[in-house]
Amino acid sequence: MSVENLKAYIESGVLELYVLGDLSPEETLQVEEIASQYPEVRDEIAAIEQAIEQYAMQNAVEPSSAVETRLFEQLGLSEIETPETVQPAPAYTEAPKIIRLDESDGKVRTLRYALVACVALLIISTAALFITYNKLNDAHDQIASLNLDKQKFAGVVSKLEFENQGLGNMAAMADSREWATINMTGQPFSPASKMKVYWNKKDKSVLINYIAMDLPKADKEHEYQLWALVNGKPVSLGVFGKSDSTSNEALVKMPAIQEAQAFAVTLEPMGGSVNPTMEKLTVMGGV
Amino acid sequence: MTAFKKLTLTEPELVQALQSKDPAVLKTLYSMYSSAIYGVISRIITHTELAEDVLQETFVKIWQSAAHYDNTKGRLFTWMMNIARNLSIDKLRSKDFKNSLKNQDIENNVSFVEEQNKVTFNPDILGVKQLVDNLKPDLQAVLDLVYYKGFTHVEAAEKLDLPLGTVKTRIRLAIIELRRNFN
Repeated sequence: MSVENLKAYIESGVLELYVLGDLSPEETLQVEEIASQYPEVRDEIAAIEQAIEQYAMQNAVEPSSAVETRLFEQLGLSEIETPETVQPAPAYTEAPKIIRLDESDGKVRTLRYALVACVALLIISTAALFITYNKLNDAHDQIASLNLDKQKFAGVVSKLEFENQGLGNMAAMADSREWATINMTGQPFSPASKMKVYWNKKDKSVLINYIAMDLPKADKEHEYQLWALVNGKPVSLGVFGKSDSTSNEALVKMPAIQEAQAFAVTLEPMGGSVNPTMEKLTVMGGV
Repeated sequence: MTAFKKLTLTEPELVQALQSKDPAVLKTLYSMYSSAIYGVISRIITHTELAEDVLQETFVKIWQSAAHYDNTKGRLFTWMMNIARNLSIDKLRSKDFKNSLKNQDIENNVSFVEEQNKVTFNPDILGVKQLVDNLKPDLQAVLDLVYYKGFTHVEAAEKLDLPLGTVKTRIRLAIIELRRNFN
């Protein structure tokens, strides 16, 4: 077919009639034959179809919903079309009910399984939680006892450090020429007591060493006071507590004294006294 | 059931599912096209009950003869629309349609068909009327007969007393006009 003939064919209106289904079977076959050969004809047919389809879509009329119901009842929504199933109409209405029952039965069964699974899961979870809780308690106990051990060891370590410092100092003092060691011995108030005082010959500073003292434990209202005897007169060098774990330092520096003939310790009320209480003279030693 | 199946599918998806007789696709097809097809039917048959019967028959036929649809020969909608048009015209000419009217002459079929479809547009169809009013009167007359009333072009030519070629040309021009409107 020439281009002119093809154009004339398209413009003859036969394709519109083809789309509208207004051709005889022979004419229809002829159009299909030509369309299979010429893409222009195919495109024209497609355009006509689309125009008519859009036209129909834009002029749609909603049928009553009963039609849909009747249609699906008529078809039974089933692919099988056996004469027996067509005959008794009520059988159709019954059949879906049975299916629905089966379906809901299945659902109930599924739900039952789900419930059993849930309960089992709950029991397992509870047991696991209980075991975990017990383990946690054990762990807490262990932590507490380890803490106790740690505190004990820390106490031992600090006591050892304290003693080591004091002993180290004693050894150093014994070797030193700078320091004079004054041994104070027990007096009638407490004959078993003894204590050392270290006096620096150069800068006149005074040290006491808790490790190098053996005094009775003072009660809460009393503490010990160190005195220097200067030309027969007592000069206070301050108070000190009995050695205990509250103090980390084994060595305590007391006020310096320029000259002294002897040192003494008395037991005085808390805060010390201006003059020594001679009845409670605990230890004393000359330089 | 596949109640939650989406209600629009592409044409190839529809055709494939339809030809494999998937019952769910009929629901989809119905929800997509029933009103457009009913629009075609209700213009040929103004009697609501009968028009709805034809709509039902149309979908039964679509379902049963889906295997005969050949997508190389045209769009699915064209195929469905022509089933609807043929069933509508068959219904107009059937015995049960004219059982109340006796001695109906075969030769008078055309005028009979016309009488049965006196232009009594219901409000639903007003939109169509307006669209066609935009056409030139001679184009409108042809489209009126062929599209609304289910006339063949031969019947339309007789009715309008025009040569067949003229009727064909006017149908073509009317559809070209529609194509322009929609583009």
